[in-house]
Amino acid sequence: MNYPLDSLALSHFLLTGAVLFALGLIGFITRRNMIIMFLCTEMMFQGVVITLVAFSRFHMNAGGQTFVIFVLTIAAAEAALALGLVVLLFRRKRTLDAQAWSAMRD
Amino acid sequence: MVEVYGLYTATVLGAVALFMMMPRRGYNPRKIGAFLAAATLGGLWLYLGRTLFQRDDLGVASAAMPYYYIFSFIGLTAAVRVITHTQPVYSALWFVMVVLASAGMFLLLGAEFVAFGMVIIYGGAILVTYVFVIMLAAQSEEAAEAGEDDPKSRSTEYERVAREPALAIVAGFLLLATLLNVAFRPMVPNPAARGLTAKEITQGIPAGEGVAGQPRILNADRRAAAGVLEGVDEKTKKRIASVVHADEVENVELVGIELFRGNPLGLELAGVILLVSLIGAVVIARQRGSLD
Repeated sequence: MNYPLDSLALSHFLLTGAVLFALGLIGFITRRNMIIMFLCTEMMFQGVVITLVAFSRFHMNAGGQTFVIFVLTIAAAEAALALGLVVLLFRRKRTLDAQAWSAMRD
Repeated sequence: MVEVYGLYTATVLGAVALFMMMPRRGYNPRKIGAFLAAATLGGLWLYLGRTLFQRDDLGVASAAMPYYYIFSFIGLTAAVRVITHTQPVYSALWFVMVVLASAGMFLLLGAEFVAFGMVIIYGGAILVTYVFVIMLAAQSEEAAEAGEDDPKSRSTEYERVAREPALAIVAGFLLLATLLNVAFRPMVPNPAARGLTAKEITQGIPAGEGVAGQPRILNADRRAAAGVLEGVDEKTKKRIASVVHADEVENVELVGIELFRGNPLGLELAGVILLVSLIGAVVIARQRGSLD
């Protein structure tokens, strides 16, 4: 059942997509700069998009690639709104440190 | 079962490597971490090569295989730099590298429209917005003070120290181990859903959904293969010849048809979301924070 392949398989792209997603998640938690935190969510989107396109190819169905366009739409909307909010927060406290806003939990 | 343990070992090694590369106070064993991470990735790839199944073959020309490894390596290295670099502008630039590398992978997969859309929208539009906001916000006094005594570390304290790196890496790599478990043993094809014949199931070769029984080859692959016909064995030549008469549908056409025929409501909703976020961004940006 298990024999070597000399061309690309679905697993190759799933591997890359999964690692990108995990790195984006780790970056979102560890980075304290609010802008970079949102950049890391974009990186998670990248991982998902690679997975979608790979499955689209696997099933020879353009549905996955179509969905990427919607992902792009959401990413663009998120970038516009999130960066607007970040600029607003920066004006209040003059810092991009997310922990400056941890007092919100009190 | 042994395969699973190897996978978990690789995941743990990757987690340790990333932990070494995280920015923190004091000694930073970055080079060791980078070496360990590269070794782990190489090990994972070797491992992947051993566990592949014929039924997962994507039908990409085997000449494309080195390009996958190049693009994937560039993309993952850049991703690590995005989350470990202490200067936000460089993080954003490394993210452009991630986008370009994944666009290369989309070209390998025959998805030209998505590849160019990624470069134009992500690398062009979204990243420019990010860099613009970073430039707008990063000129804080703290950074300037940090740069006075040491010009090399012109970044603020909150950039140079990661928040809870150990916990975050444990969480992230638990998720990664779970995902890789699926990625290394993907999709058992459902014979009922895909209408395979008994012969196809025993041979383990899935039929493409578009043209029944045809090998999974796109126009892009056909052109690429036609370019390197010399030195190709007879079997591959026959395989190429067998799809020459298939319907010519370009990738852009395919995506367009699927988008406008399959998801008209989704398309309209995407437009509404863009409009709403446009209005929202204007409203948010016009609010006055206390400017002191």
